Amino acid sequence: MHNHHTDWHIWSGCAILTLLIFRLLWGFVGSSTARWTSFVRGPRAVAAYLRGNWVGIGHNPLGALSVLALFIAVAVQVALGLIAQDEDGINLGPLARLVSSGTSDKARDIHELWFDVILVLIVVHLGAIIVYRLGGKNLTRPMITGRAVLQAGTQPMRPGRWWVALICVAIAFGTVRWLIAGAPPFGS
Amino acid sequence: MRLTFLVAACACVSLAACGGWKSGQANSAQGNISKDSRPPATPDANAVGNDSATNGMVMLAVALPKDKALAVMKERHDGMHSVADALKAIHRALGPTPDLPTVRANSAKLVQLSRAGSHWFPAGTGPDVGKTRAKADIWQNPEDFAAKFRNFQAATRAFDAAARGNDDAAMNARFADLDGTCKACHDKYRGPEEH
Repeated sequence: MHNHHTDWHIWSGCAILTLLIFRLLWGFVGSSTARWTSFVRGPRAVAAYLRGNWVGIGHNPLGALSVLALFIAVAVQVALGLIAQDEDGINLGPLARLVSSGTSDKARDIHELWFDVILVLIVVHLGAIIVYRLGGKNLTRPMITGRAVLQAGTQPMRPGRWWVALICVAIAFGTVRWLIAGAPPFGS
Repeated sequence: MRLTFLVAACACVSLAACGGWKSGQANSAQGNISKDSRPPATPDANAVGNDSATNGMVMLAVALPKDKALAVMKERHDGMHSVADALKAIHRALGPTPDLPTVRANSAKLVQLSRAGSHWFPAGTGPDVGKTRAKADIWQNPEDFAAKFRNFQAATRAFDAAARGNDDAAMNARFADLDGTCKACHDKYRGPEEH
């Protein structure tokens, strides 16, 4: 990290963690297409999709793999950052005190390399969206507006409830504040 | 007065020999500072191996032969890593309930290391000689570098004193100051990590 803006870096990591926690929770209590159970499928479903035998709305089985890969990759990066320290030991991640100095250094090294993994996944993800778009299917608009043309035989999305979303945001926010404080009573 | 002239003459000779004279004079603020405005040289500024309390930086000497230069560079590398280890240990020991014995043991080590550091940057130990993150700029801006290093040395002493006191707020403040002296030098004079 050569731009020295470590404060912003750590702040960004905490913001991303808040989003991750929200998305994790929303995947259990949110809109129908957002729920993990609605789109996470096994390899047989992926094969069926590739053969053209999948009918549904929201993330298709292949897209589901992409969602999981990105979510897990970013979660790994954030987890490493939580315990990392910079090379001079001047900036510590929020949970760095829970591990040894050597572990924090190792975490930083992996954190640096892991970014390239995320970069590859982002490129693949964007590439897929472009390929679909060229094939006439706009994937991102329904995600934002909640509106799409449905295939025959599919049920429309059941929207999530706004107050459930608010509770998820509050839990995510509170959890990150707790981690920033060093996760008492485990640390600090 | 004579000693100041001698030091200034050595500075000019070293700068000319390094080849950084043109860029130092023409482009940097340091190069345009007149001789008189520089801090007076301490009696030990030219003494090699003199570990006195004045912490004079030994930079204005004839370039070392290569094998001696590499030995100094290794000592410098290991020394800087020891500084980092001490800082990391202190940082972990500081907190709502500081582990004072650990802090104090490491603050004393930092004072020692910063003192030894006076001898880590003689002429002829730059990136042209071997692998190092020390930038050539160091020997092109010796006064600025020496001043920043002296700030580091002073900050280690101030932190060590605060660590042995009773005021946690002062101790944390001095530690933040110390971190600042690391950054001030590294931002300008340390190159990037190479993997």
